Amino acid sequence: MTSSLARWASTSVHVLIVQVPGWDESRMLLEAELDRRGWSVALSPADADLLAVCGIPGDELRAACDLVWDQLPGPRTRVSVTVAAALPTLLDGAVAHLVDDSRQRKDARARSQRVAAEDPRPDAGEHEGMAHGPMDHAAMDHGGMDMPMPGGIPLAGGGDDRDGLEMDILTVPLGPVLPHWPAGLVVECMLQGDVIVSAKARILQAASAPKEASKQAMTDVVDARRRIIRLCDQASQLLALAGWQAAEQNARWLRDDLLRGADLTDHGAALDRLRRRVERSTLLRWSLKGLTLTGSATRDDGADPSIRHRLIGWLREAAELAGTTPGGRPIAAHDANRAQEAQEAQDALDALPDLLRGTDLGTARLLIAGLGLDTAALRETHEHSHD
Amino acid sequence: MSTLMTEPIVQVSPAWAVLAPLALLLFALAGAGLNGALAARSAGRPVRSGAGAPIAQVARLLRQRRQVTVAADVLLWRIGAGGLVIVAILKILVIPLGPWTLADLDVGVVWFNTMDVMIWALFWLIGWGANSAHALVGGYRFLSLAVSYELPLMFALITPAVAARSLRVGDVVAAQHDLWFVVWMPVAFVIFCGSVIAFSSWGPFATGAGRDIAGGFLADVSGVDRLLILTGRYAVLTAGAAFAVPLFLGGGAGPLLPDWLWTIVKTALVLAAFVAIRHKVPTIRPDRFAEVAWIIVLPAALLQVLVVAIISVGS
Repeated sequence: MTSSLARWASTSVHVLIVQVPGWDESRMLLEAELDRRGWSVALSPADADLLAVCGIPGDELRAACDLVWDQLPGPRTRVSVTVAAALPTLLDGAVAHLVDDSRQRKDARARSQRVAAEDPRPDAGEHEGMAHGPMDHAAMDHGGMDMPMPGGIPLAGGGDDRDGLEMDILTVPLGPVLPHWPAGLVVECMLQGDVIVSAKARILQAASAPKEASKQAMTDVVDARRRIIRLCDQASQLLALAGWQAAEQNARWLRDDLLRGADLTDHGAALDRLRRRVERSTLLRWSLKGLTLTGSATRDDGADPSIRHRLIGWLREAAELAGTTPGGRPIAAHDANRAQEAQEAQDALDALPDLLRGTDLGTARLLIAGLGLDTAALRETHEHSHD
Repeated sequence: MSTLMTEPIVQVSPAWAVLAPLALLLFALAGAGLNGALAARSAGRPVRSGAGAPIAQVARLLRQRRQVTVAADVLLWRIGAGGLVIVAILKILVIPLGPWTLADLDVGVVWFNTMDVMIWALFWLIGWGANSAHALVGGYRFLSLAVSYELPLMFALITPAVAARSLRVGDVVAAQHDLWFVVWMPVAFVIFCGSVIAFSSWGPFATGAGRDIAGGFLADVSGVDRLLILTGRYAVLTAGAAFAVPLFLGGGAGPLLPDWLWTIVKTALVLAAFVAIRHKVPTIRPDRFAEVAWIIVLPAALLQVLVVAIISVGS
């Protein structure tokens, strides 16, 4: 009875994905494999059976992963995705862990003993604000307890909201473990209701970048393919947050096809069809209306800074790249490109607080997705600045 | 103790009430199966495996431990989680299955409305109870959606009652003897259907459980609590689909088949349409929707009542 229950349950494992900056490819390959198996991506730890950390996280990000791991209800298991080739074996192994009842019972017992052994009042620092929520693992500054706090959580303070009414202020860190979210990004928000009063952004780094044997030998075609994959990925994240599942899936499949090494020219037309579909949708136009990247979030190159136009621009660029690359249209030299990407990413990160102030959570998510923040590029600037 | 009404709607013994939840859950399961099948088809996986997905999900959630967050308001949280299924069952009590009904209330239409107002509280409690930011925002979002859909829904419910000059569901069915209400009150029908999808937090109106807020009011529920909420959502969707049948689609009227079977067939078709919408339509942002609801939908609903009232008085 229990074993057949376990067998049934394991046909659809829900996976919470943590992405380390720079390891996009591992995450995309994992997502493609989950799609193939009919597994789901969990939106929060409470919904997850499996924690998949894509890449090798730095200390801070690893601590966040451990916090998330504690929030998986169980039966649970975790894997570290670093080598693409081993993915099917890795996931099969995870299923074996999940259905292993005695092992899971032991895990559950160990957890309840640990909780019982702890102080009945949980550590205040770990639960600062709403920090026990699904995504809030970044607030790990251990504050003192100098006032009565229900469950170890300090009461929310008050402040005037945008209409001049007094309203509670909550400190809520967004990220680093959040679906459709730039890898490693943490935005510490002060929230009134679902409106962001102020925000501070930072990046939790990777311990190491993925090995790129071919980094020096990269041809233009490889570089173009990467760029297209990245653009498709950005577009699918934005479409997912806008709630248009069909178009999101479309973008993701094109991405996965290219990841598997499908022919670029064949996909130029498909990318263009997707672009036209997005362009024609009145509902998307309506729901993204007025969402614009203001201030220094974008370069002043005259391009329309609205989120919708950026989305369409990504798809257009991807289609053009796919259509022209084998013909030999050269892409700008790598080094110049990378330096520029890093600068853009840094500018976008610096502009985040101003961009998010006064927006509601839903809008903020769309704006951040619209930035197309490349957190891995930032890592390179940091390395340079340390040199 | 059964009473014969003026029209052939018969209130059956309360003992039959045990079958109502069973039928409701079967419908909910079928709806979830269809949803899984559609998802699998669009993802290019075998449709059969998708249709079986709800069973796997039930097994998974029964096996999962229920997680409690720090300083959660456990009592209210659980009331919210368990309440959805109960509200759905209470809703279908007044829906006639062909010639039979469990509760032939003379205010049956208002009863249904009362139950869907209770859903406000339930989704809010689910969001509130977890004591977490994303869940709370999910609860807020549902309430802001509810402020948009509730008034149009009330007028959409009243429209058939105005035409039938009665709030008794049996009378509404009888009044459609010659012409189904959906034919001459299409606006009310569409608004009703949209509101059902909204109060089930489903498809384009599922923003309370949106991807952008990590699952919203679902963010922190696990195990049996999650199972109850997911089942409850399908159950209220089913109850809404079933209520469209006596209200707009002529109740059990139809050729060849017996009345009770027609009720079931029509309910299944409406439910299938509701489930399918999720896979077609993008999510509608609640703040954007409020504008449309108050400026376009509500006046349209009022206009529909006015037209129906004038026709009813005239005839």
